Amino acid sequence: MLNHILRRLLQAVLVLALVALLIFLMLRVVPGNPIATMMGEHVDPAVIERMTSELGLDQPITVQFFRYILDAMKGDFGTSYSMGKPVDGLIRTAFPNTLILALCAALFAWVMGIICGTVSAVRKNSVLDRLFMGFSLLGVSVPVFMAAMMLQYVFAYHLHWLDISGVKNWKSFILPAVALGWNSAGSISRLVRSTLLEILQADYIDTARAKGRGQAGVLIFHAMRNAMLPVVTMMALQLSSLLSGAVITESIFAINGIGRLAVQAIEGRDIPLLQGTALFSTALVILGNLAADLLYGVLDPRIRKES
Amino acid sequence: MPDNDPFRKKENVSGQAGDRLPEPDGFRSIVKRLAGENKLAVFSFAVILLFVLAAVLAPVLTPYTEKQMDLRHRLSPPSPEHLFGTDEGGRDILTRMLFGSRVSLLIGVVPSLVSMLLGAALGIVSGYAGGKTDTVIMRLADLMLAFPSMLLAMVIMYTLGGGLMNIFLTLSLVNWAGVARVVRSETLRIIKTEYVEAARITGVPGFRIMLRHILPNCVPTMLVLFTLNIPSSILTESSLSFLGLGIQPPDASWGLMVNTGRQFLYSAPWLSLIPSAAIMAIVLAFNFLGDGLADVLDPYRKNQ
Amino acid sequence: MHNILEVRHLSAGFSARKSEVKAVDDVSLLVPEGKIVGIVGESGCGKSMTARAVMGLIRYPGRVISGSVLLDGRELVGMPEKEKRALRGSKMSMIFQEPMTSLNPVMKVGRQVEEAIRIHEKVSREEAAHRSVEILTSVGVPEAEKRCLCYPHQLSGGLRQRVMIAMAMILDPRLLIADEPTTALDVTVEAQILQLMRTLSSGGTGILLISHDLGVIAQVCDHVYVMYAGRIVESAETAELFDRPLHPYTRGLLNSVRSLRGGGDVLDTIPGVVPNLMRMPAGCGFSPRCLECREECVRDVPRLVDEGDGHLIRCFLYEGEAAE
Repeated sequence: MLNHILRRLLQAVLVLALVALLIFLMLRVVPGNPIATMMGEHVDPAVIERMTSELGLDQPITVQFFRYILDAMKGDFGTSYSMGKPVDGLIRTAFPNTLILALCAALFAWVMGIICGTVSAVRKNSVLDRLFMGFSLLGVSVPVFMAAMMLQYVFAYHLHWLDISGVKNWKSFILPAVALGWNSAGSISRLVRSTLLEILQADYIDTARAKGRGQAGVLIFHAMRNAMLPVVTMMALQLSSLLSGAVITESIFAINGIGRLAVQAIEGRDIPLLQGTALFSTALVILGNLAADLLYGVLDPRIRKES
Repeated sequence: MPDNDPFRKKENVSGQAGDRLPEPDGFRSIVKRLAGENKLAVFSFAVILLFVLAAVLAPVLTPYTEKQMDLRHRLSPPSPEHLFGTDEGGRDILTRMLFGSRVSLLIGVVPSLVSMLLGAALGIVSGYAGGKTDTVIMRLADLMLAFPSMLLAMVIMYTLGGGLMNIFLTLSLVNWAGVARVVRSETLRIIKTEYVEAARITGVPGFRIMLRHILPNCVPTMLVLFTLNIPSSILTESSLSFLGLGIQPPDASWGLMVNTGRQFLYSAPWLSLIPSAAIMAIVLAFNFLGDGLADVLDPYRKNQ
Repeated sequence: MHNILEVRHLSAGFSARKSEVKAVDDVSLLVPEGKIVGIVGESGCGKSMTARAVMGLIRYPGRVISGSVLLDGRELVGMPEKEKRALRGSKMSMIFQEPMTSLNPVMKVGRQVEEAIRIHEKVSREEAAHRSVEILTSVGVPEAEKRCLCYPHQLSGGLRQRVMIAMAMILDPRLLIADEPTTALDVTVEAQILQLMRTLSSGGTGILLISHDLGVIAQVCDHVYVMYAGRIVESAETAELFDRPLHPYTRGLLNSVRSLRGGGDVLDTIPGVVPNLMRMPAGCGFSPRCLECREECVRDVPRLVDEGDGHLIRCFLYEGEAAE
């Protein structure tokens, strides 16, 4: 088991290093000098040259990369061109907001997804099933920005129940979290429903019923744990789409998070900031996948023993 | 596909029960089953056809042009002259929607096709070759899947700049990894069947096995993935355009229209509402169709 | 002798779009205390459905249409689900054909056996665990304590079936239904499991053994019911049935087994296949395949008549004789 964890950890680090390289290279392909691009055309070439060498951009690309990696390991992602502040500091301030938003959205998605999916499976073809599945399909089909804007329009602008934008207290996260989590809730509930329907046909469900378990007991003690296996995998994949959606949600609700930082980086043609936010978000996803992988091993004894 | 392969025939005769592979379905029988089992999928298909028709016939369907400004009629609400109203530049929204649907449909189909072909090729090779090839391809796929797709797209779009071709490229890069993973696991399943084993033993070259035995059996899965990738591509493009990173004005794209309409959300809500609704409709239609196809094509569900 | 299970005129099936499809048609059978009673028939003849009907475990959309099932004199048909649940696992239990898939893959074996106790009795976990180890040992699981900590995939098929039996027997039920318990196992393990069943029945448990394999039936059963297309076509003491098979179907079954074992040149088989439930012949279910089929066989369903000594037979070949 320990071996398994170590190997997974090593793999994660490898993927992360490759991601760093990839982002680095992609951002270096941009034609022209990034400093010149950022500062505009009417700046003294001497100034551009001085800044270029100050930032080490005149060095060979391999040197730049290794310097970047070494600094990154020390927690230094360079200085933002457009904001003039260290990138790690900017990320550190933004991260809690994104974390809260993503956690709230994930919580909403998991709770709603599992409850709706289970009810739909148990009461197949009932009115509730149709209702839940309708909402789920809508969730998977509505663009995040549309959900966000609709919620903003109805609950903040029209009903004045909640704030339109900005972060004041915990209530500020309700609308963004729902807007962001709806999509995931939809996919999870659809998955839970189809998995449960399949599992309820399994032979061991008959065995449990033959033992005298009632419907609830069968569901809780036998079906649910087996149904959670694919769901855990999907939840990990959802993490990536949650962070993607956070870019949009944070922009619409004016939440100072990683996603908004990334958008600002692009608007300011700010390579260090874009690089830092992209790398950081990807690291989060990789970490989440790692956690899901290990959780899966705990849930499914078959996997545990094989590896 | 001409069926002149001895092993395929042998498999059909002996009817091995162990490998529940999909029967080679005729196109007609698929459509028939789809129509019989899932009316919603058929309806969705009709909706999609309607959108396609509207996109193709856009210039014929409207008296206005996409970029024609009319500053006297800015932000006018829906009326008989402008069915969906006009935008901040006085441009007819219906017209821009029609032209925008060309963008959305192209963006749905082209990158999905590219990523499906790329993903399928890499997935089959990865599953069939195994070993180092497999490791390299799958780590690469892990890499792509680890990126939050939106951020990856943002980085690529930053490097390449906006525009249709770059969006194609971006979305293809974002989506191939998912396809490759699924196709690889399908390949691993098919490889274990007796007829592939038999083909290998008798020395049929690997390339031929992949093309003749594995690929045809992956087609149903690929078709479903293709149908479900279209809406996700449309959504990603609209999100990118919404952030101002996708299609650049004055070209029209639904996502871009939502973005520009956003500042008038409270005074002229139709500006962003109508294109949002269109995105939702087309995505919903493709999702229904994909679900229906999955029900009909999935050999496991079919046998139950 | 006291009858533990008494099934009377049981019909079960599905309500199809327009008509009703009966997978089990007017089946009556008895399982006396301490006896092993077999139901034999080809797959799809309704034997599993009969077993599930007794347990009340028919899968939707199937259901019991009419008839009665008495367990120790208590009527099960129409009994509230809650009361039936209290009987399942304690007074009657069932083991299934596939030991590979009949155990929950993510639950330790010990927990699954304990569960059977803890559903019905208020006992501590230690007590339940202790009793599980005891019963597992008694059904022949070596090193039961260690096995309790295993997951199903770590055990062999034979062991898993023993676990299933332990689980079914732990509360000492009156009735055990075994649905093809040895079909998925190899021959040596099959013999051990059958031996185990005989031991269980000598303890007083009534066992209803369902199998398509006449060899299995011959080895352990006291009484046999032959089922075809949803109906009982013949019923007798095991020795009587094998000595004097009356129904053309039973004779065909026995011939095919004998020609296999006896090494004759020609494999004696019954021509044709089991009829589809949706297209059941109007008369005797076996008539399309029967070599001695007559006019009335196609038209009417024969009655089940006593040919003497409790040897029951449902065939027009004998109905006339009985009337005379």
